[in-house]
Amino acid sequence: MDKTLAIAANTFREAIRDRVLYLLLGFALLMIGSSIFLSLLTVGSREKIIIDLGLSAISLFGVLTAIFIGVGLVFKEIDRKTIYTIVTKPVGRAQFILGKYLGLVMTLSVNLVVMTIGFYLLLAYEGAAYARLLPAVGLTLLELIVVTALAILFSSFSTPILSALLTLGAYLVGQLSWSLRLLQDRLDPGIGRAVCEFFYWVLPNLWRFNIRAEVTHAVPVPPAEVGLAVVYGLAYAALLVFIACLCFERRDFK
Amino acid sequence: MMIGTRLVVGGLLVALLGTGAWAQAILERWQSGREIGGQLMYLPNGRYLKVASFGYAPLLADLIYLWSIQYYGTYDREVRYDIVEHVYVDVIGELDPLYSDAFLMGSLILSVEARAPERALEILDIGMERNPEDWILPFEAGFVAYNQLRDFERAAGYYKRCAAIPGAHPVARRFHAEMFNRMGDKQTSYAKWLEVYETAEDDFVRDVAYSHVHDLRIEIDVEALQAAVEIYRENHGSYPASLKALVAAGLIQALAVDPEGESYTYDPSTGEVGSQSKYRLWRR
Repeated sequence: MDKTLAIAANTFREAIRDRVLYLLLGFALLMIGSSIFLSLLTVGSREKIIIDLGLSAISLFGVLTAIFIGVGLVFKEIDRKTIYTIVTKPVGRAQFILGKYLGLVMTLSVNLVVMTIGFYLLLAYEGAAYARLLPAVGLTLLELIVVTALAILFSSFSTPILSALLTLGAYLVGQLSWSLRLLQDRLDPGIGRAVCEFFYWVLPNLWRFNIRAEVTHAVPVPPAEVGLAVVYGLAYAALLVFIACLCFERRDFK
Repeated sequence: MMIGTRLVVGGLLVALLGTGAWAQAILERWQSGREIGGQLMYLPNGRYLKVASFGYAPLLADLIYLWSIQYYGTYDREVRYDIVEHVYVDVIGELDPLYSDAFLMGSLILSVEARAPERALEILDIGMERNPEDWILPFEAGFVAYNQLRDFERAAGYYKRCAAIPGAHPVARRFHAEMFNRMGDKQTSYAKWLEVYETAEDDFVRDVAYSHVHDLRIEIDVEALQAAVEIYRENHGSYPASLKALVAAGLIQALAVDPEGESYTYDPSTGEVGSQSKYRLWRR
């Protein structure tokens, strides 16, 4: 475990030196801040627009950071050939992947905290710093944990560009997997419905982590629902990281 | 880099920027007469946009709402009133069904600008269905029904619905009480105003409610006495000598006094019943 944590700490240090991180963080804070100007164009709904834009920026830029940094982590080690020095040491490949993953999750968590502080400072200025928004931010972190796991999985067996495209595709599919139910309802019983059913359970359902509309409109979200979403997210991410470890174990670095 | 090369590169950049600005200025002039907000009309239903928004439907609803505000802020659009329901109900309302301001804005455009109160109420009815806990929508609907349609019964229904929602502005109960008066049902209106008066939490509301209770009490008593006088005349062929004769004839149980403790006036020559106390509200 110490080795995994050491790799995680090193990954964190490496990630916070990445200029892409600061670029995306800067854009996110700019987008959050710009909501105050955008809200000048409205009649009513000023608070709603600031909250919607802030929560969306936190989610969107978090996902972009997870993809852009996540897909390059493993590849960099292979490209710089530093992977050879790591795999020759008594460090398991699974520990390496897990360490990389945890390091990136740490980076994204810090990133999310910075964005949330920026968001709440703006809300405090507007007199709307509601605590009810925090569960939505928390579930955004769960969403990022799953997206990071997807990025690590794809980067464990493919190139950064392909991994980025696959992760982005999986993210979009994850946002739409609920619609498989709609398709299923329109199909006659048989193989088509079974295929829909299969993919509905296998594909990530990122919709489960989206309670942004509810918290914006102060619609109560039962804590049990949030808790189950956390369980679902952690279990799904663990599954993806496990598969990533299996893929990486079989990878030939020659 | 040589100074000459720098000058050439700088000149090229300025020339490109100038060309872009020139083309932009000409396009702006050419396209100025076009229905630029008209694209709102061609937006697909929010149910489809929601799928395409990849989890950011409320944000997309905000952006279209902002777009609509700019569109309706310009008054020379030809189709502005034809697409209100599409923009605020079918698109924004489907993207974010809890977006009360969108329903409110659509109804305001239709009721205040387009003078189409029935269409405004249709939007508000949909908004209320989706936001049953938001009091502003039935309140606005009550005002449209009362102020524009003069349909007091319908307005009373909306105000009743509004007043029942926790956190509703207390003025909803006052409007509700007053609608019965406008309908001609003074007894019910009196009972509702009395309830407002007895449960008022501040002096202003108590004073307003008392004025209504005061005036309604006088109106109800005067109308009842006047009706009894007319029955007396039909039965006896002449007006009673005094209001006490109504009690003796069994037409009323006792002589009422007004809220200020004064007895009601009566003119036996004309049979007219009146009040010594003045009405507190100017409209009466």
